[in-house]
Amino acid sequence: MDFRLNPDQIELRDAVRDYLTAEHGPEVLRRLDAGNRRGPAVWDGLVAMGLTGILVPAEQGGLGLGLVEAVLVAIELGRANVSEPLADTALVAAPLLRATQQAEIAAGTLKVALAHPVNPWVADLNQAGLVIGGEMTSSPTALDSVDPLRLLFGPGECIATEGLLDRAALIGAAQLIGGGERMLGLATDYANQRSQFGQPIGKFQAIKHHLASVAVKIEFARPLVLRAAHALQQNHARAVLHVSHAKLAATDAAMLAAETAIQVHGAMGYTYEVDLHFWMKRAWALSGAWGDRAFHERRVAEAVLDDRFDIGPSTTFLAE
Amino acid sequence: MNLDYTPEQQSFRTEVREWMAAHVPRAPLETLEGRKGFDQHVAWERALASGNWGMVTWPEAYGGRGLDLIRWLIFEEEYWAAGAPGRANQNGIFLLGPTIMEYGSDEQKARFLTPMARGEVIWAQAWSEPDAGSDMAAIRSRAIRDGDDYVVNGQKTWSSRAAFADWCFGLFRTDPDSSRHHGLSFILLPLDTPGVTVRPIRQLHGETGFAEIFFDNVRVPVANRIAGEGEGWNVAMATAGFERGLMLRSPARFQATAKRLVELYRKHRDSASPAASAAVLQAWMDAEAYALNTYAVAAQVMAGGKIGAEASLNKIFWSEMDRAQHRAAMSLLGAAAELRTLPDGEPNAWLEGYIFSLSGPIYAGSNEIQRNIVAERLLGLPR
Ligand SMILES: Cc1cc2nc3c(=O)[nH]c(=O)nc-3n(C[C@H](O)[C@H](O)[C@H](O)COP(=O)(O)OP(=O)(O)OC[C@H]3O[C@@H](n4cnc5c(N)ncnc54)[C@H](O)[C@@H]3O)c2cc1C
Repeated sequence: MDFRLNPDQIELRDAVRDYLTAEHGPEVLRRLDAGNRRGPAVWDGLVAMGLTGILVPAEQGGLGLGLVEAVLVAIELGRANVSEPLADTALVAAPLLRATQQAEIAAGTLKVALAHPVNPWVADLNQAGLVIGGEMTSSPTALDSVDPLRLLFGPGECIATEGLLDRAALIGAAQLIGGGERMLGLATDYANQRSQFGQPIGKFQAIKHHLASVAVKIEFARPLVLRAAHALQQNHARAVLHVSHAKLAATDAAMLAAETAIQVHGAMGYTYEVDLHFWMKRAWALSGAWGDRAFHERRVAEAVLDDRFDIGPSTTFLAE
Repeated sequence: MNLDYTPEQQSFRTEVREWMAAHVPRAPLETLEGRKGFDQHVAWERALASGNWGMVTWPEAYGGRGLDLIRWLIFEEEYWAAGAPGRANQNGIFLLGPTIMEYGSDEQKARFLTPMARGEVIWAQAWSEPDAGSDMAAIRSRAIRDGDDYVVNGQKTWSSRAAFADWCFGLFRTDPDSSRHHGLSFILLPLDTPGVTVRPIRQLHGETGFAEIFFDNVRVPVANRIAGEGEGWNVAMATAGFERGLMLRSPARFQATAKRLVELYRKHRDSASPAASAAVLQAWMDAEAYALNTYAVAAQVMAGGKIGAEASLNKIFWSEMDRAQHRAAMSLLGAAAELRTLPDGEPNAWLEGYIFSLSGPIYAGSNEIQRNIVAERLLGLPR
């Protein structure tokens, strides 16, 4: 029992964070928003980092890592607000596909779109070489998401694919954690800079307390996402429960971070002029994706209230 | 990251489980906040100590088992899963004990730690004063040196269970010309010393859970001071860190409450409002989140990390979770929530628990103070 990241995991996380900080700053988001919303250069950079191959076995040219590592990458994608279809393709789809397709994913030549009856809006269908759980239509209808960088397409026929929903919900939860942390950081920076009544607004307790509450929420959601990744990787009987729990907690944390961050920014937060809005909108988008609140609450309720599992002390890490 | 228990950890769990099954009192004890219940709880402390379970993380030399934090968590899980009583000894073992281990002399360790682990001396914490609650640096009680003694005068208040405890530890102004956090010393003294008067204060629930302590020319040997004269503030801050950090509120306790809450929900399923069932789920989820976070922090500490201002995140979380858990139970009970004894003849422990949970966001440094600490020390906002 050692609930810490190991040195390799920390190295991976830091490398991804450093890369995205250097190469995927807010100016990239602004450029994509002004242009066609997708950047081949960004995708090529992610491929060159080896991130498309993270879950692909070494024989297929990947890094052969597991879901915990995938979650660490997803947190960083959320922190940087990356919208290239890396999460869907490399972090969710790759393990569900054949070896040749995995090799193409690792090489960056195959992008995969995901469909599921619970989540009928398919992201990035237009550039996908493959759809899991749905049909490729020749002329997909684009839908406008609140998230300006999220390319969505209307529902075709969807069929449930085993394992897809939980993986996607987990990766979504991880992105929400990263986004929440970033919004807390943006709001804290703003509170340090913006002065009113002759002092930085961060000196006011009302502001401090808002931000501290966000820190609490995020701090207690993060380990849930890591446990869910571990449980899913090991095929634990409780993995479904853990994933839903993680998605709910990550959603709550990110939504509180978003609402608090806009409040702390004042009217500036209500404009397109500060970067904050990209993260807020991603949080709203991911909150309902891959199972909304009602869906995940129902799954937790079935597991906990209906006596499906042993609950209480000494069951925290029970595999069954 | 490795979230599986080792075989040794598993067999330790079995050992605790078996001991608890054989020793935990069958009938619930009376409240710790009254004389009779307090004595029952002290008897339980002695029973625990007879099995060397008084304080499992302490060194064997002081009556502990020298166990690491993961085993402590396992111990706590089995302890609360078995329905064992709350700890009368908590001020000693969780707060003062670690303080003495860090700052006490060898002579003080030998003198105080073993009786503490054995439940032979029960401690009260004497920090707050009528005009020094959140602003602890405003304390005025004095301990003025006179030869090998200090002469203590002043008043402490809201000292938990001081009405029944044997000794207290507190902060006193040893430099009469000092102000704020300078010139304070950390002193231990027996509550039956001449000149000490303890006046119980009736709490919200009607019991005398805490007390005022008056000091009238009380003589205390200088040997009862922990660390140097005037160094009391830093020592007290370390103790406060222990109070907010891992030990005082182990996750298993909230997981046990959440489990009982789920059982209560199953009994009241038909009348439960959607909001109440959502609150029950949230209570269960929060207790789990708290447990995971504690495991993560324990692993960091075992690897040589220190808990600093993060302890404040912890304190905010458990105290607000505790209140919400009991509030959920109150809404499940509906009209019966106000009864001291429930229609099935059981004492309404949820009501007692709800009332007590309201104090969590106040004591151990109010949550407003904790949020200031998080904002300033973790997030880097200006003071
Ligand atoms: C059940 C219980 C047990 C206790 N046990 C002990 C014990 O064993 N030993 C002991 O020494 N003490 C004990 N206390 C006392 C406790 O530590 C104090 O109550 C606590 O520190 C708050 O101080 P106060 O009550 O004077 O409140 P005040 O400091 O008067 O605060 C009142 C309100 O103002 C807020 N406030 C104060 N200052 C600030 C600020 N700077 N910024 C924002 N808000 C602020 C507080 O958060 C609170 O909401 C206990 C209290 C309770 C309720």
